[in-house]
Amino acid sequence: MSETALATPEFSAAGRPAGRLRRRNWPAIIAWAVVLLILVLLPLYLPPGLLSAGQYVMVGAVGAIGLTLVFGQAGQLSLAHAFFLLVGGTAYSVLAGETTQAGAERIVGFGWPPLLALIGAVVITALFGLAFAPVAGRLKGIYLGIASLALVYIGFYLGRALPALTGGASSGRNPEPFSLFGFPFTNEGDIALFGVPLRQPERLWYLFLVVLVIGYLLAAGAMRGRVGRAWRAVRDHEAAAAAMGVNVLRAKAVAFAVSAAYAGLAGVLLVLWYGLLKPDESEFGNYGLNTSIAFLAMVLIGGLGSIPGAVAGALIVWGSQQILTLFAADLGLGTALSGFSPTVISLYVYGLAVIAVVLFEPGGLAAIGRNTVAALRGRRRSDMDSSGASGRRSAPPGKDGK
Amino acid sequence: MTATTAGPGTGTTRTDVPELRIDAVSLRFGGIQALDEVSFTVRPGTVHALIGPNGAGKSSCFNVISGLYRPTEGRVVLGETVLPELRPHRLAALGIGRSFQNIALSMHSTVLDNVMLGRHALTHGGFLSGGFRLPWTVREERRHAARAAEICAFLGLSHVVETPVGALPYGLAKRVDVARALAVEPRILLLDEPAAGLNAVETADMAATIVDLRAALDISVLLVEHDMGLVMGIADRVSVLDFGRLIADGPPAAVRRDPEVVKAYLGTGENGECPR
Ligand SMILES: Nc1ncnc2c1ncn2[C@@H]1O[C@H](COP(=O)(O)OP(=O)(O)OP(=O)(O)O)[C@@H](O)[C@H]1O
Ligand SMILES: [Mg+2]
Repeated sequence: MSETALATPEFSAAGRPAGRLRRRNWPAIIAWAVVLLILVLLPLYLPPGLLSAGQYVMVGAVGAIGLTLVFGQAGQLSLAHAFFLLVGGTAYSVLAGETTQAGAERIVGFGWPPLLALIGAVVITALFGLAFAPVAGRLKGIYLGIASLALVYIGFYLGRALPALTGGASSGRNPEPFSLFGFPFTNEGDIALFGVPLRQPERLWYLFLVVLVIGYLLAAGAMRGRVGRAWRAVRDHEAAAAAMGVNVLRAKAVAFAVSAAYAGLAGVLLVLWYGLLKPDESEFGNYGLNTSIAFLAMVLIGGLGSIPGAVAGALIVWGSQQILTLFAADLGLGTALSGFSPTVISLYVYGLAVIAVVLFEPGGLAAIGRNTVAALRGRRRSDMDSSGASGRRSAPPGKDGK
Repeated sequence: MTATTAGPGTGTTRTDVPELRIDAVSLRFGGIQALDEVSFTVRPGTVHALIGPNGAGKSSCFNVISGLYRPTEGRVVLGETVLPELRPHRLAALGIGRSFQNIALSMHSTVLDNVMLGRHALTHGGFLSGGFRLPWTVREERRHAARAAEICAFLGLSHVVETPVGALPYGLAKRVDVARALAVEPRILLLDEPAAGLNAVETADMAATIVDLRAALDISVLLVEHDMGLVMGIADRVSVLDFGRLIADGPPAAVRRDPEVVKAYLGTGENGECPR
């Protein structure tokens, strides 16, 4: 019944009822604290290029969490992620910006406080996701994927057709810089941490980090409880989900809305990162099919349904792209492979990563991580996992209800 | 909410179990008459068996009751309530729990997680309240997890609550399906072939479990089963379907001797086991 024929849907760490019967898992808490500390200290040491690359990865991670929720947990394939990114970025720019006159074009803005605009943008994007729900309720698997892809092309058209909102494809518009209760995320004002001045890049890093942590915890918390169970049931067996009281259509609609909200949030961060909202001039752009595919690659590499996996996937997919761009000259890629841009090369890199995952570990990085942790703890979790993967999968597919 | 407090083994007597009436239900799939004016009543607190050869329409009948299929004609009535058609998710709240003929669990989720799904209609909270782990969600979750663990214990699953269902032997997975249906706190439990694919020992265990849970919870059980031994041993009443028609309905002893039933099961030998 599972629609996720690409790879085995992963039972994420978030789905484990940890702490429900067991007490706190101290090694994990300490490990997370260390990771967080490193992420807090990193901007003090990183050169500007890597700092910017790290921000980009965090943007990707927020979006990837959204996709792994709808695709990995709820079993609904979405290729519309790039569209929701565009909606989020545009909504923020319109809500936070001022109305200006650019040549013949009047560019509309509401001048909301940036935090309000960010929240508004997320809500608006979620509503766009909800509006797609009737389609999501009728189609399954790859058909749903193709239908959702239509949104990307609608976005491509609207981005150019509505310059009053987007600024148009040739020039775009500059989004209002983020600020929080009067504190600007720009170079304004002098603050420092351990003697290192915190300027726009550092401040944005911390903003993105906070957003990512909140998005991560929210997703993990929800997937651990009632909503996560309902979504996984919809993914695995719709009739059984319904028999247990889950309103399947509603669950799919909410999953789409939540996923769109994450993508919209990533879209806001993306325009803050670029300092520019710019609709695509060609189909191969920031909001094109290639971006939707990149997000798909993130969640496949990370392990479908796994939230930490989505973050790791973003690191590999968008990280490799940034690293290749940064070091293209050093690596001699510019001359030796003339005609291949770093973006195209990174496409091959994560394309191969996806193939490797499909061939060798359908559970992705999440499964590798789990098995490693289990091995370190000397538990027999890995045996259990592998027998779980092959165990009863040969049972006849349910014919009841469908 | 007496349902949430009455636990298996507490022996609480309940008076809120209504009768389930299948009222002249017909169901057609194109040219196939899966059900043909089928009527029978599951009396409160009984184990009622629905039997018949392969393709007789037993699962279809379950799916009509569960609201998954819309009957071409007829209706299903629970007490005074006509059950809604094609609103399957509303039935759990009305006190109807069901298990599936083919295991319909989330293989990668733990046993407890699967059983907790049965609590869906009894609990609240959406993405945000769950995501922020608001105190009341956490409390609710803990309370219902305790009850789910109790149900698991009742079904002999205590030692595997943290195990992914996919790693369980088939016999145990079958019991998880029943546990999940019980987690709904049903007044009527629909079990579609709970003993299919089980060996003799597991089948006897399952039969004992069904008898026990009916006694402990005082609920009605509507049971589809191929295993005649199991059916005749535990059912209070038996309805027999053949090609979508109800050909017999009565106490096991009478149904067993019914000439039409014998004809429908012709070739099954004297042990009364029907062909698979
Ligand atoms: N969704 C469907 N579409 C078309 N035909 C169906 C559908 N579901 C069931 N049928 C047909 O209806 C008839 C009754 O099927 P059903 O599954 O109810 O039988 P059953 O008594 O449960 O059999 P079994 O003992 O094999 O489980 C069969 O002929 C079957 O092929
Ligand atoms: Mg059947």
